[in-house]
Amino acid sequence: MFAIETRNLTKLYGKTKALKGLDFTVDEGEIMVLLGPNGSGKTTLLLILATVLKPTSGIAKVMGYDVIRQPTRVRQILGIAFQDARGFWRHKPMEILRFHATVCGVPKSKRETLIEQVMKDLELWDARGKLFMHLSGGQTKRLEVAKLLVQRPRLAIFDEPSSQVDLRGKRIIWDHIRKLRDEGSTVLAATNEVREAEYLADRITILDQGLSVVCDTVQHLKDSITGGDIVELEVEAPDNNNMAEELSRLEGTFRVTALNESQLRAYVSMSEAWVPKMTNLCYQRNIRVLSVRVTEPSLDDVFLHFTGRVLGAPTS
Amino acid sequence: MSSIVRLIWFDLKQELNPPVWIVMEWMVFAVQLGVYGALISRLVTSMSEYLQFYAVGFVIMMTFEIGSHVGRHFVEHAHEGRLPYLLSLPIPRWKLFLSVALQGGVELALLLVVPLSVTLSIIGNLTALSVASAVATLFWLGFGVSGLMLALSFIAFRSADIYTAIVTALSTLIIRFSTVFYPLIFLPSSYAGAATISPLTYGSDLVRLLLGFDPSILVDPRVAAAVLGALAVSTLGLGMFLLQRLVEGVKSG
Repeated sequence: MFAIETRNLTKLYGKTKALKGLDFTVDEGEIMVLLGPNGSGKTTLLLILATVLKPTSGIAKVMGYDVIRQPTRVRQILGIAFQDARGFWRHKPMEILRFHATVCGVPKSKRETLIEQVMKDLELWDARGKLFMHLSGGQTKRLEVAKLLVQRPRLAIFDEPSSQVDLRGKRIIWDHIRKLRDEGSTVLAATNEVREAEYLADRITILDQGLSVVCDTVQHLKDSITGGDIVELEVEAPDNNNMAEELSRLEGTFRVTALNESQLRAYVSMSEAWVPKMTNLCYQRNIRVLSVRVTEPSLDDVFLHFTGRVLGAPTS
Repeated sequence: MSSIVRLIWFDLKQELNPPVWIVMEWMVFAVQLGVYGALISRLVTSMSEYLQFYAVGFVIMMTFEIGSHVGRHFVEHAHEGRLPYLLSLPIPRWKLFLSVALQGGVELALLLVVPLSVTLSIIGNLTALSVASAVATLFWLGFGVSGLMLALSFIAFRSADIYTAIVTALSTLIIRFSTVFYPLIFLPSSYAGAATISPLTYGSDLVRLLLGFDPSILVDPRVAAAVLGALAVSTLGLGMFLLQRLVEGVKSG
């Protein structure tokens, strides 16, 4: 059984198609990151899974429960941290977390200790007595994440969990999300931040214009780009052009160009397999390798490769 | 049932923190009745005890405004992202909507308890049954107005400015063209025609009848009860239908 399963899921807002027949699965106990630009359908998918929105057609299941037919069961299983935490203007963080924990069934005996611990972990303890409307953007975002850390649902959904948060705060949030996974929760996080996706994901699904473009581990996604790894070599070869030609015949080589008399740049797939072959060849030809520098493709490159667009560009 | 109480209390806490504006409402009532009501009742000579008539009218007007506030408030929640949060909690929908309705009722009761008590003490000579029926009518009217505003609030998803303009204009017309401050029989025919369309006419006259006012200056109570019933059922029904549409199809928050 999948933790999440959608089949041919569509959602229309008037004439706008936010989801166009999405097929998507998440395994239990993993962190699945939805990566896509604004308008790609990430938030819509999350809101459908949380039973806040109803799909136009198709099937969506959470731990085997249908979001249309068994919405209350679904809501008992999951928790969602929204992209934009608002609407509690005259409540205090402590009150908000206490309410959330109570409604979500956190046992009374554990509630206060858990809330205090989470607030301290997310550096909200000093702001516990402030009104929500007096919190900074980063604090409100951390409070939104804190709800799920207190709730510890079987399925935790985060919509852009660290947006508006400073670098240090991001790292704290990410570590706690991973800890949540380690303690048994399945995590689904949507983001358009490459660093966040790379840090969190067990697997990544790239969403673009309401469809799943590709889904795999970060490493596999990077490896799947033909010639995505760049290896820059400095060698002592009598004829650099000849060397480039020989290297280009190695398996996994996409293209090799000579930069100058001693430097070469090779575009290869899976550099970890290509570099030993290259050193072996140099050894056989008695060519001394002075330096090797490997650059992997970024997730931005992966997104560009699969969608033909850069991640930051708006959806047409 | 505990989740309903929890939801009501969580929401109400926001309203009561601090409770200044509740006290302000009471003060507005006191000033309006003590100064304006007292003065105008001396000017109105064609009707004895106009102050009592005026006090009931003012309570009705407050009921209308509070009902409007509750309806609008709920849709503001949707805009602010609070509604999606509530919808994501492990609470059945019916409990959630019931808690919203009851919270409106509690809010109405809190705001009206002092003005209504003062009004009842001015009228005097009341029975428990008449007071209970009048309070029930006020709540029914409050529900109807909340539903009306809830239904109208969906215009706000297109334009908050248009919504504010419509609600302000509508409130002015509904209150002024009604029998809230003047009995129907004293109104010029053109004005009286407009007043028979206003739901406040039926709310205020039914409450007055239940509190022992002269039936000859009031609208037929059976018509009033029917209109109020139809208003509450239809507007709440429409509000719930539109809310369902909101939940199903409009991205917010």
